[in-house]
Amino acid sequence: MTETLLLSRLQFALTAIFHMLWPVLSTGLAIFLVILEVLWLRTKDPLFYRQARFWAKLYVLNFGIGVASGLPMEFQFGTNWGPLSEFAGDFFGSVLGFEGAMAFMLEAGFLGIMLFGWSRVPPLLHLLATVMVAFGANLSVFWILSANSWLQTPAGGVFSHGSFQVENYFAAINNPFMVRSVLHMSLATVETSMLVVGAISCWWLLRRSTPATTATHGFFSVSLKLALVILLAVAPLQILAGHESALQVAEYQPTKLAAMESIWENQPAGTSPGWNLIAMPDPAQQRNRWQLALPHGFSWILEGKSKLSQPVRGLASWPMDQRPKLISLIFYAFRLMAGIGIAAAGLMAVTGWVWWRHGLGAEQLQRWPWLGWAWVVAAPAGYVAIEAGWIVRCVGRQPWTVYGELRTADAASPLPAQEVLTSLLSFGLLYAVLLGFALWFGARIIRRGPDLNLDPET
Amino acid sequence: MDFLNGFMPTVWFVILALFLLLYVILDGFDLGVGILSLTSPGEQQRSILMASLGNVWDANETWLVLMGGALFGAFPLAYSTILQALYGPIYLMILGLILRAVAFEFRENAIHKQPWNWMFGLGSVIAAASQGICLGTVLDGIPTDPSGHFNGSPWLWINWHSLVVSLTLIQGYVLIGSTYLILKTSGALQQLHFRTAKVAAITTLAGALLITLTSPLLSQELRARIFDPAFLPAFVVLPLAGLSLVALLFRSLARQQEAWPFVYTCLLFILSFLGLGLMLFPAIIPPSISIYEAHTSISTMVFMLTFIGFLIPIMLFYNIYNYLAFQGKVLEE
Repeated sequence: MTETLLLSRLQFALTAIFHMLWPVLSTGLAIFLVILEVLWLRTKDPLFYRQARFWAKLYVLNFGIGVASGLPMEFQFGTNWGPLSEFAGDFFGSVLGFEGAMAFMLEAGFLGIMLFGWSRVPPLLHLLATVMVAFGANLSVFWILSANSWLQTPAGGVFSHGSFQVENYFAAINNPFMVRSVLHMSLATVETSMLVVGAISCWWLLRRSTPATTATHGFFSVSLKLALVILLAVAPLQILAGHESALQVAEYQPTKLAAMESIWENQPAGTSPGWNLIAMPDPAQQRNRWQLALPHGFSWILEGKSKLSQPVRGLASWPMDQRPKLISLIFYAFRLMAGIGIAAAGLMAVTGWVWWRHGLGAEQLQRWPWLGWAWVVAAPAGYVAIEAGWIVRCVGRQPWTVYGELRTADAASPLPAQEVLTSLLSFGLLYAVLLGFALWFGARIIRRGPDLNLDPET
Repeated sequence: MDFLNGFMPTVWFVILALFLLLYVILDGFDLGVGILSLTSPGEQQRSILMASLGNVWDANETWLVLMGGALFGAFPLAYSTILQALYGPIYLMILGLILRAVAFEFRENAIHKQPWNWMFGLGSVIAAASQGICLGTVLDGIPTDPSGHFNGSPWLWINWHSLVVSLTLIQGYVLIGSTYLILKTSGALQQLHFRTAKVAAITTLAGALLITLTSPLLSQELRARIFDPAFLPAFVVLPLAGLSLVALLFRSLARQQEAWPFVYTCLLFILSFLGLGLMLFPAIIPPSISIYEAHTSISTMVFMLTFIGFLIPIMLFYNIYNYLAFQGKVLEE
């Protein structure tokens, strides 16, 4: 049973980490496609029509893998996490039902019209289809994050006879973590999607200017500027949203906060402990083997004050079976996510300044190529930040699946270990191959670039 | 509240049956076209087959996601027990659906289309076959302890009867896929699918007869249900109606009608579903756990019904609109 538990956890982690790669563009890029289509309908400039058609090519490649890799996520709750399904089904199951009926079907039902319907339906109806695809995708962020937040901060009912009974649906849906988690995730998908648009634009703009590339460079400097305008708003907001989420963790999940900061000893109110920039946690000794700390930094970072107003409990004050084990993973995943978020905001500030002083296009990026390359690197970094954030969120919640109520060890189905091992290994192999080909075909779409002779079909 | 206690589980049983029926018809022709793509004489013909699915495959598959979510929400115990019992075939089905979805998108971008063609066809076969195995295993019954938890063998689903159901479902999908293609294609390709429809109609009929005759022999519960005086008239009428539909189907195929074969096939699917539903109801984990034992709280069922029930007509509306916007023959582009 312990092998099965470990294998089921590994399989959920693998399939979730792989799945998470695709909804990012499905939700974030969909909003960009709506903006492009509105610009096209308002200005009648075919440039925006071509923009919409080009970015939609990446969208559809990404979308199919997202749908397909979502299937194991849903079915695993039944196959591998049966006891969880029975324990939490009263709320958790109905939320997944809502997501299917409200979000996925909306997205899927209008996707065909959005992709192939340009000449088949009137322009406003086509816009409606694009809006519905974007709306459906973002609704699914809402429902999934509501469901996951409920696992983090269960609310709206009672636990009795080994299962959860909902008493107030709106309190369960609107559980303490919900609003800020939905906000944090939605901003993350928009931010990373715009980083992808910006990275592809910069990659093209970095190519040497010749008479043949003038039109393409014009195309991509427009998409870069659009992405930058959105990011100038979203990147700083995301830091704020992240900080707000961390404050909630401090309030509701003290063990996760202590792991995120690798704090072992209790920190009473009124003190001013250092903030660990990097550290080497030693769970056996219940301390950090060494750390590089910013003196008196912790209360500034957590509360913006010189001294802690609330005490912070250290990991050592919890029994071993009530706190997460993988402290280093949580600690460094958190630093990776936050670091990338701050660096992205910095990149936006620098690029915004360049645009303001010198203009933004092929000429500027070729004069300062490091700027363009920083953008190219930022896109994969956005994905890394999202994955790292989920690792903090879900590994940091351990040993609980439903925080404080159901242990992960009690949530797994009693399956034969060989069975789970077989599915885990084949998912791993399949996903590695799929990721490779998706990148290969994505790169081909990017290298071919937009069709600048494409004219609206009406 | 007593009224709701008896009524809500039935309502959700019917809604689940509706979602499953929509899935089996819609993704049925989708998977059927996928299997038929393995027989396409050339790349041009195969492209037409794929194009006939381009705008619908994703929505069709979503009915399965919806069915899963609704089963999880309304009958969590059944979701947990059935999926644990069917770990192998569910996992194979997911694998098949992933292979085919991804092959569909990759093929669009590929220069060498052959490997993706194989993956698309093979994925469709795997998905259809594993769905048949799931259906066959559930029909035969899933052993549980008194509280409804699975206590059978992980290899429960490997037996000749679920294999027969699986092969028959593949034939059924090929049949409905063929009749869909009769509707969407013309010329030589359409003629090809008139022929595949005839062959598939014969093999589906043979399989369906075999299942109808053997299932009552294998399961005491099914036998008792069929000969129950209250149900007996239905089990006399349904096969007769089915056989008349099969006759009509053959006639419409012989007369080269374009729309009727698809309509008759859909009606046959609906009829088979009605038969299955009458055989199983009110069991949700056949043979012993009923919807009254496995359901979630009544208030949750009411809450889900207000949301999802309200959305069902809306979902049907925009799905139908999607089909209407692309009606007619596939354009060769």
